[in-house]
Amino acid sequence: MSSLSDIGNLMHLYLDEIDPDVGTDAPEFLIKATAHLLNQNGKRNWIPVIVKEIDEDKYKVVGNSFIYAVAEEAGLDRVWCIIADDSDETTEITKVLAGEEIPKINLSKASRDEIMAALQYLIEQPGSLLKTVKLPLATNRIDEAPRQYWKTFDPITSLKCGITKGKKLDALKQVFYLTPQPMPDTITDIAILKTMTTADLKKIAKKRGIAGLSKMKKDDLIEALSGG
Amino acid sequence: MTAISLRSALQSLPENAQEPIVDQLFATQLLRALGFQSGEIHPEYNTGDGKSVDKAARKTIGDDIFLYTKSNPHLLLELKGRDINLSEDAAQYQKTVNQLKGYLLGPNCKTAQWGIITNSCHIQLFRKHGRVIYPATQCLSIDPENVDQVIASIRKKIERPTKALTIAVYNNKGGVGKTTTTVNLAAILTFLGKKVLAIDFDPNQQDLTSSLGLSLSNSSVFQALTEKESDIKSAVCHYTFPLKKLKSELRFDVLPADQELADAPENLLRNRLKRHTLYRKLELARQEYDYILIDSPPNWRVFSQLAVYASDVVLIPTKHNNLFSLENAATAIKKFIPEVQAKKGDGSPVPLPIFFNGEKITPPQLAAAQQEINNLIKAAKKDGFNLMPYFYPRYTNARRDLHIPQIPSYANIASSAFSRTPAVYRDRAAHDYYKNLVKEYFLQ
Repeated sequence: MSSLSDIGNLMHLYLDEIDPDVGTDAPEFLIKATAHLLNQNGKRNWIPVIVKEIDEDKYKVVGNSFIYAVAEEAGLDRVWCIIADDSDETTEITKVLAGEEIPKINLSKASRDEIMAALQYLIEQPGSLLKTVKLPLATNRIDEAPRQYWKTFDPITSLKCGITKGKKLDALKQVFYLTPQPMPDTITDIAILKTMTTADLKKIAKKRGIAGLSKMKKDDLIEALSGG
Repeated sequence: MTAISLRSALQSLPENAQEPIVDQLFATQLLRALGFQSGEIHPEYNTGDGKSVDKAARKTIGDDIFLYTKSNPHLLLELKGRDINLSEDAAQYQKTVNQLKGYLLGPNCKTAQWGIITNSCHIQLFRKHGRVIYPATQCLSIDPENVDQVIASIRKKIERPTKALTIAVYNNKGGVGKTTTTVNLAAILTFLGKKVLAIDFDPNQQDLTSSLGLSLSNSSVFQALTEKESDIKSAVCHYTFPLKKLKSELRFDVLPADQELADAPENLLRNRLKRHTLYRKLELARQEYDYILIDSPPNWRVFSQLAVYASDVVLIPTKHNNLFSLENAATAIKKFIPEVQAKKGDGSPVPLPIFFNGEKITPPQLAAAQQEINNLIKAAKKDGFNLMPYFYPRYTNARRDLHIPQIPSYANIASSAFSRTPAVYRDRAAHDYYKNLVKEYFLQ
C-alpha cells in the first residue's frame, strides 16, 4: 500500500478537486497583484500548496492557502501541490511552517529565554495590545512566578507587569499554553499559596486536618498553611 | 606513560586525517592526558535541544560515573578533522567556536566549565562562567614536539579554575553610565547570592565610591598596588544595605578610589604601575569572589589599560543617541582590546556585546542608531574586522535579528546617587531591568 501512496509527492492537481478549508486572510491587493505577476511569469507556482488527500481525487489545503487563493485568482486549472499525510500533527506543523499560525510554547516549563522571546514577539507586533508592557519586567516576573502550578493565565494579572485581565491577557494565549503540575499538598511557600484560590487552599487545609476552616479567610488560610 | 602516547598519537596521524581518524587516534589520548579515564568520557553527548557534542567528560564523583549517569558534564570537546582549518583567522575557526559555544549553553551542560576545540593541529581552551564564554588560552598550534607541554598547561588550568569572572566596565566616552552600570550590577549580583567585589578604578572622578557613600582610600590602595608585599585585601571596604524585614543585610565589597592615585602625576604612575599590576594583585580575589567588577575612566590611559588587562571580559555601555559612544565602542573592540590580548597572551579579555544605556528609545531613534552601527560595521569590515557579534549578537546569516539589549535610565536610577544607595535596592523597575541584564549576559 505504501508504495502506492502519494504522500510526499509533488503533484499537479486540479484546483476544483481541492477544498481550500479555512482559506487565507491575505488582503485583496496581495492576492490580485500576485496573481497578475504569476500570469506574467510562467504561471507556475514554484512554491507548492500543501494538501492532504481526503478521498479519491479529493484534497484539502493544510498549508500555503495564500498560494491556493492566488492560483484561483489567476484562473489556473491546475496548481502544484505537495501531498502531506492527514495527521493533526502534520497539519499543525505545516501551518506553523507556512507562517499561517503562531507556534505556542509551554509556559509551565519554558525557559526564561523562551518566555522573553515570546513576549518580545507579541510586544513588537504592529498595533500590539501589549505595546506598553516592559519586556524585562514582564519576563522576570513571569519567569520567577510559580507558573508550573498555574491552571489558568489569571495569576499573571497580579504580577504588576502591565498585563491586565481582558484583551492583554488573552493576547498571551496566542503564544503560550499550560500543562500544570498538581500542587503538592505539602506546600508552605507563601508566594505560591497567595496565587491560589481560597477554595483550593481550603481543600489543602482539609487534607492536612486544620480545624476551624469554615470561618477562615484567605489570609488566615495562607498563614495556617505556611506555618504548618 | 600517557605523555608518550600523546606524542606518538600525533605522529601516527596522516597529514590530512579527517574527523573520524582524529577521533580514533587522538581524542581519547588527549582526554586521558587531561586527566579523564574511560568511564569519565561520553562520546556524542546530548547537550539538549537535540544537538550533540563530540565528547563530554567529567571525573567520577563517588559512585556517580559520568558514562552511566550522563549528568553534569564538566568539559566539552568539539573535534574537527585536519581538513578543517582552525587557525585563528580562518572562517572555519569562527564557525567551530560558535558551535562549541552553542553546546556549552545547552540545557544539559549548565555545569560545564570548559570547552575545547581541536583538529590535532590547533587547540584552544575556553572557560564558561555562568553564561559567559571566553578564551582561556590563545588558539595554539600543536605538533609532536610541543604537544606534551601544551596539554599539560591546559590540564593545569582545568584543574584550577578561577572562581571569579572579572568584568571591566569601559567606554572611552564619558557619561554613558559606566559607574551606574558597575554599581547596579554589583548590587543585583549580590542580591542574587553572588559574592562581589566592585573596584573604583577611576581615581579622578571617584564616582563609584561616592555614589555608595563610602570614604576615599587615603593611599592604602596606592600602596597595595605599588608595594610588593602589600595586598589589596587590606584596602577593601564593605557596602551594606540593611534588610529590616528579614533582619539581615546585603553586602558587597568595594575597593574604593584612592586620593593618592588621583594626585600622582601620570609619569610617576607609569613608573610604578605595570600593565599587569592590577591583574596580579587580584590573584587571591579571583578565588574568593564570584564576580569582580572594575569601573574604569573614560580614556585609554593607565587606569583603563590596567583595568582591561585585569579582566576576562569587557562590558561596554553605550548610548543610542551618542554617536561617539558607539564609535568608541568600535575602537575599543577593534584596537584597544586586541592590543591587550596580544600582551596578555591567554586569549582574554574579550568584549561582550554592547548594550544601550539611557533614555527611552523611539523607533526612529533606534533606526538612526542602527544606521550608525551599520556604517561602523561596514568600515570595520574594510579593515578585516567583524563587529557584527558585538553589536548585533543575535544576527546570523539566516536571521536578520537586530535587537540590542537596553537599560532605560530614568529619574529614579539617576537620582539614586544622592541617596547613596544603588537604584536596584530602591526601585522595583530598576531592580528588574538590571536583573534582566545579568541574566542575559552573565547567569545561566
